[in-house]
Amino acid sequence: MQGLYIGGVSNSELLRLDGVEKRFGETVALQESTISIDRGSFVSIVGPSGCGKSTLFNVVAGLLTPEKGDILLDGRSVRGKTGHVGYMLQKDLLVPWRTVLGNITLGARLTRRVTSDDRAQASAFASRYGLGEFLNHYPGSLSGGMRQRVALMRTLALNQPLLLLDEPFGALDAQTRFEMQQWLLQVWRDSERTVLFITHDVDEAVFLSDRVLVMSPRPGRVVDDLTIDLPRPRTLETLTSPEFTALKATILHQLHAERAQ
Amino acid sequence: MTWRRVLKGVLGPIISLVAVVAIWQAIVVWGHVAPYIAPRPLAAFRAITSNWSVLWPLTSWTIKETVYGFVAGVVLGVSFGVIMAKIPFLARTIYPVLIMSQAIPIVALALPLVLILGFSLMPKVVIVAWIVFFPVTVNVLDGLNNVDKDLLTLSRVLGASKFRTFVVIEIPGAITPLFSGLKIGATYAVTGAIIAELAASTGSSLALYQHTEAGQLNAAGVYGTTILMTAIGMSWFLLTLGAEYLCTPWRRRSVARRGWRGAKNSSAVTNKQGE
Repeated sequence: MQGLYIGGVSNSELLRLDGVEKRFGETVALQESTISIDRGSFVSIVGPSGCGKSTLFNVVAGLLTPEKGDILLDGRSVRGKTGHVGYMLQKDLLVPWRTVLGNITLGARLTRRVTSDDRAQASAFASRYGLGEFLNHYPGSLSGGMRQRVALMRTLALNQPLLLLDEPFGALDAQTRFEMQQWLLQVWRDSERTVLFITHDVDEAVFLSDRVLVMSPRPGRVVDDLTIDLPRPRTLETLTSPEFTALKATILHQLHAERAQ
Repeated sequence: MTWRRVLKGVLGPIISLVAVVAIWQAIVVWGHVAPYIAPRPLAAFRAITSNWSVLWPLTSWTIKETVYGFVAGVVLGVSFGVIMAKIPFLARTIYPVLIMSQAIPIVALALPLVLILGFSLMPKVVIVAWIVFFPVTVNVLDGLNNVDKDLLTLSRVLGASKFRTFVVIEIPGAITPLFSGLKIGATYAVTGAIIAELAASTGSSLALYQHTEAGQLNAAGVYGTTILMTAIGMSWFLLTLGAEYLCTPWRRRSVARRGWRGAKNSSAVTNKQGE
């Protein structure tokens, strides 16, 4: 499968949802959707609660099996299977009895043996992103921002090409949040991963993404797909540029139009 | 650990212990309590030391009952807790029986056990285990049921098997409640052993020794034996506390004592970081 993508790394398709539909009884949580995500891209999903964002995530992660359609990762079906994505929630979910290093290597511990290469990689992540001093600390002694960083490193450490981030910075204060967003972009650039990012915050979606999918509830579906062509690297200035504001306005209108119906 | 911290930790218990002994002394001396009703503290301690050659074999017997019973109770308690957490149907079935088991007065349990098991060590061990297992089961069950559901989901998404998740996430997550159960069990274990001795001993036991002393109106001997029993209970509780201290370093330290010291081979990193 890998051979197919030689020479076209950034434009090839990594993930494809092919006519995927998920119901809970009578409720259509996710209406038949076909979505293609390019390798190396950063795609955000915005929408009100109940619009099927989390259902979409859980279907991709393999926690839910859709009634219709297929999910292809790198061309292989991963429908109803787990163990193929990095996954991170608003709660950092660090385990208090393992050190920072132990938490970063938790994925390895859960699926196989932790090797010295795993530890070396975890250590490299930590020192590269400013937590080198804290490798042997227990999470109880870390601040909220530091804990989220460790959680993201844990998400990276399994070396899965696709990362699913569900409002990872939702619980942080505005200042820390902006720092974390910039840091996430740096990590994303360094690691060449593909990111699917859920957020309520339209600013955050526009600031981070190449593409924003707007979703709407009853039934949950994608109602708009916007390309964010703001130049990178994105900085504080990006947030106040007219292009940024225009994109934000488009999405907000879209969201409110849906809500008004 | 510095001497200052040791002193801080030990000072409180010492002060309260001295206070208890001082109040005892004060009541006996100023209240003109007759020596056959309550001895002075020193007399009670002397009753222990002067009869040590008789008391030590009895004490070691009681310790044996306590420890064996405690260990059996913990094994049983943890097993019940795990089984009940993993199979909800069994939890609903077993729980009423477990509660019933605790409603039986221990004294009323001792005599049937003597009929079944005789006057050996066994009935005492069974009674101690009977008392100890319950708080352990309840706490392990609660601990396992209260592991963060999102953490279990994360574990599943990462591709972990149920067994791995249990070993890596659920067991360590239940350690703190487990120790709550162990501490409750530890305080009750000696009480159980003494009750069992009262009901199920023919000749030599700490409980019967105390009875004999009481029969001879030897208050010092009676009080001394009580002190000895209390000491066994407290020592066992302190040992449990010590085990908890060693098993849960993250609750008192911010840095792991034996952390990771660095990589011998970091080639994998340079490949993956690929700068």
